[in-house]
Parts: sequence; structure tokens; C-alpha cells
Amino acid sequence: MALGKTEEKVGGPGMNETPLIRLTDVSKVYHLESGDFTALNHISLDINEGEFVALMGPSGSGKSTMMNQLGILDVPTTGELYIAGKDVARMTNLERTHMRRDTLGYVFQKFYLIPLLSAYENVEYPLILKYKKRDTTGKADAVLKSVGFDKAMSAHRPTQLSGGEQQRVAIARALVNEPKILLCDEPTGNLDRKTGFQIMDLLVGLHGEGKTVILVTHDPKIAEYAKRTVTLEDGRIVES
Amino acid sequence: MRDIFFDLSVRSVKLNFLRSLLASIGIVIGVVAISSMGMLGTNMQLQVKDQLSTGANTLVITSDAVRIGLPGSNPTASSSSSGITKTQLLKIKQSAGTGNTVIPLYRTSTEFTLGSVNGRSSVYGIAPNDVTSFLTIDNGTNLEGVNDALVGSTIATNFNLKLGSRIHIGKANETESRPTVRIVGILKARGMTSDNVNADNAIIVSRDWYTAEYGGEDQYNQVNVIVKNIDTLSEVKTAIDAKVNTDPKTPVIRIQDASSRLSSITSTLSTMTTFILAIGGISLLVAATSIFNVMMMSVNERIQEIGILLSIGTERGEVRRMFLYEALILGILGGGVGGLCSLVIGYSVVSAMIGTTAYFFLPESIVYIPGGMIIGMCVCVVSGLYPAWRASNMDPIDALRSE
Repeated sequence: MALGKTEEKVGGPGMNETPLIRLTDVSKVYHLESGDFTALNHISLDINEGEFVALMGPSGSGKSTMMNQLGILDVPTTGELYIAGKDVARMTNLERTHMRRDTLGYVFQKFYLIPLLSAYENVEYPLILKYKKRDTTGKADAVLKSVGFDKAMSAHRPTQLSGGEQQRVAIARALVNEPKILLCDEPTGNLDRKTGFQIMDLLVGLHGEGKTVILVTHDPKIAEYAKRTVTLEDGRIVES
Repeated sequence: MRDIFFDLSVRSVKLNFLRSLLASIGIVIGVVAISSMGMLGTNMQLQVKDQLSTGANTLVITSDAVRIGLPGSNPTASSSSSGITKTQLLKIKQSAGTGNTVIPLYRTSTEFTLGSVNGRSSVYGIAPNDVTSFLTIDNGTNLEGVNDALVGSTIATNFNLKLGSRIHIGKANETESRPTVRIVGILKARGMTSDNVNADNAIIVSRDWYTAEYGGEDQYNQVNVIVKNIDTLSEVKTAIDAKVNTDPKTPVIRIQDASSRLSSITSTLSTMTTFILAIGGISLLVAATSIFNVMMMSVNERIQEIGILLSIGTERGEVRRMFLYEALILGILGGGVGGLCSLVIGYSVVSAMIGTTAYFFLPESIVYIPGGMIIGMCVCVVSGLYPAWRASNMDPIDALRSE
């Protein structure tokens, strides 16, 4: 695969079906007082359904900007981004919000649980957003159980949980609406080594169940869990 | 099952309970101010209306010229050119028709002395036969002798006047000897009435005694026409007006009925009520600033939380709703406590200022409590609009990055 050739589409090995995510010549430019800063520079990339992709690169390489684009928290300055067949640039704010809620599951480095809610309520929250009512199906409980949480632990507030436990709750929250894509931004970054590997085992298991997992990490050991690695440098893909 | 956003708002208020409570105190004060002031004004209006309904069948006729008998003045000085004349009185009697009572009366204001105690009151000169037409003697008898007097209930209570007591009329430092009257009867309390006779705080003497002391015979300060059938009040008024005020450009008498006096007084009271309500409203404005400040603090402290909510698929309208709920909770807290306080404080204020709480629980009075509560809640929600809008329009990436 040619490195740095942005005009050439970068796709997963052996994947020829319609990609779940397609970036075509995507650039992101921030207009700063000191001048324009190009965080993503003509990126083209396909990610197919069921892939486990690690985004790697040094600090400032554009990993977080890339995740913001994939999480539709931001839109490209130029180029096209298709997620689940939809052109992100043509979507309304509300449609993007609904896509974040229904199609994407986001796991953050700092967990970002809602401090006023218990572990159970944090997991139940996306269900409430989607169905506009409290969960009576037991789905939130079931997802929490699948990440190793029992009823007693589910009642705890985030501040009463360890880092690993908080990250499990965050994964459960990301999974509860059965998203097609799981975006994990340095999910082990705030965890000790052993807990980090436990979390990665959990993600591998989810990938085994058919989830598309996109992982940002700067740790090669963690990146080894992924089936494909995309390396960014100065806003360009240098290896895929 | 409660809305998750309402739950989040409740928990946020609980988390910062002291701050929320302090902000709500402003609303409590505002609600108490507008409710209590509103109830005070309304109770005053209701009391006046009620009192003026006594004598509602009376036409009060005064001269359209400068009146005689101003407080402290010598009424004889101006009596030659003021007051209702004997001819005018005759015309009034003729046009009033049969069955209706015409009561001419003199009136002035003067000082008096009882023993060593000085006081001030109105003095009315009324024919003894007319007294019982509209006044009730509670204790004693009607005027019989020239020096007999009746006193109103308020003046009797305040100065501990008894039947047989003698009162010196006029200023205590005057060198000349002062006339004396003897109390033969104490009148029943009337309160405020629409016939322009404040009998509760008056000394009633005979017309003869009055004109002997003050002069001005046949120059009446006021003529009251008590109409037997209240439905003909307007008719009688028109008849008198037509008979006496022959030139409409230069009327010589002014005729007032209860409704015009009532309307004039209630209009004044209504203006006063609006004014004091506006003062109460200022305290709500101050409270609104406080609520706005607390809401902005709440938004600024929860920027990262807002970022989390937006990034995992919360609609901007839902974030907005969450903060508006928080403002509403402060409003419900402040409005609720304010409503309860208004009940207690308003009752005390009305009791202390008006002397009766007979009208306090009437719908037109008590409505100020829910009214004040609703206004307090609305002020809170309006104060929360901008903070809620600001929260919902945050960029999720910037919000997540904030610490």
C-alpha cells in the first residue's frame, strides 16, 4: 500500500463490500489567530463492518481530530465523510445527534460518566434518549452484567467506582443501544496495565460478536489487539 | 416515571442546595412582596367598597364655588359668597320629589377640649329631626336643647367621652370664652360611607347652635338627598341638576352619588395598589438577577457534563430542558415557600394596616398568593432561558475538553 498517497483510497484487507465508514479526501483546518492549522490533510480511508481498527500516531498527529470526525462531533472542512451510507455534511444537527445516539458508541479515555447518575442510570441513559422512557426491558441490567457488573455495583455513583469499573460502565453505556460502530479513544489510557488488558479483552470479545471497533491508542501493545492499524502523522495516513 | 432530565435537575439542585436555597430566598421575598402588597391594596378596596355601600342611596350635593368652613378658618368670612343657598335648597327639595329626604347640613373642623385634653374633630350642624334619618344613636337621646351634642363612636372611645360630659369647642389658647356643648348621645359606628358624613369622628350639634357660633345661616356646606327607591337615584340626580344648574357652563352645585364617589376612591386605591405592586416587582427583578447568576454558575460548572450529554446523543433541546427544569425547581421552591410566607405575612399586614381580615380570604384577595407564586416561577424560568440556551449551544468538543 502506497503511504501518504491521499488520492488512493485506503481500505481493509480483503474487504470489497460497501464500507461502513468512508472518508474521501477529508481535511480539517482550524483557523487560529496564529494562522491556519491543518489537523487532517486529505485523508481517504474505508472501514468495513466488523473490522477492528487501531488508529496510532504520535501526539498532534490528528488521531483525536479523526475520532471527532468519526464520532460526528465535528465535520470536515473539505472532503466527504460517509457513515453507514449517510453523508455527514448533508445531515442536520438533529440527524447527527440521532446518529451519535443510535449508530455510534463512544468510549472515552477519561470515561466521562455522568456524575449525577448511578452506574445503572448511566447505562440506561442512552436508552431513555432513544425510546423517551425509562428502561423496563432489563436491557441496561443485561449489558451491565455482560461487562461484569452486578446489581449492587450498578447502584454506585461513578465517584464510588475504580477506573476499570468506570470504563466498564462507559463501555456498557456505549453498547446499550446496539451501535454498529464502537469508537474507543485511548480506552486504557487512564487504567493500570492489568486493567487495561482486561478492557481490551472485553473489546476483542465485542469485535468477535461482530461489532466494528475503532480504537485510538499510542500504545503498540494495545494496538496489537486490533486486526488492522492505521498510523497517522502530521494529519496524513502514513501506514495502513 | 419521572423524566431523566428532571431527575438530573433535582440532583443538581440538591448538590448545590445552599446556593440554590439562597437564590430562592430572593424569589420568596419577591413573592411575599407582591402577594402581601396586592392583598393589602385589594383588602383596602374591598373594605372601602363595603363601607361605601352604606348610604349608597344618597346624593351628596355641594356648592361648586369655594367651600366654606375649611379647617382652622373662620367660616363666616367666606360664607356670604359660598355654600348652598336657601333658594338652591328650595329648588333641590322641589325637584327631589316626595318620599325622598333632603338633609341640609353645615360642617367645619375645629379643636375642642375635654377637661385638660385637647382634640380635633369635624362639627356638623344638623336639624334634630334629620339626625335620625341617617344616623343611629347607640346610647343616649337625640338633640333637644340648643347646647346638646351627639358624638361619634371613635371620638367617644378615643377621648373616653360619656353622656353628660361637656366639651369646650374652639382653640384652647383663645382668650375669649369658648362655647360649651353637653353630650346627650353617642352614635353607632358607621365606618366610611358614601354620604360624605364622617360621623364616627364628629360632633353633631343643632343647626341653630352651629349658625349662632359660626354664622353662615342658609349657606349650607352640603345637602344630602336620601332617595327612597335606589332605582330612581339617577332620575332624581338629573332632576336636581336640571332645576338648579340652569346654565350647564357655570354649574352652581355639584351632585355626587355613591357610584361616582366609589369609582373615584377605588381608582385612587387601585393606583396605589399598582404602585406598591410595582415596588414588590422590583424585589422580583433583583431575585431574577440572582437566579440568572446561579444558573450561569450551574452551566459553567457542568460544561464537561454538557459535553458528555451532547457527545452521546442528547438533543440540544433536551439539554435546554434540563436547565430550564433547574430554574423551574428554584421557582417552585421559592414560589412555594413564598406562597406560604405570603399567607402568614399578608394576613398579619392586612390585620395590622386595615384592622380587619374579613376580606382576606375572599377570592379577589387570596388570588394574589397563587398569582405571586406563578409570577415568581415565571421569573425563574425566564431567568434560566439564556443559561439554558448557552448550555444547549455549546460545542461538544470544546465542552469535553474543559476541566
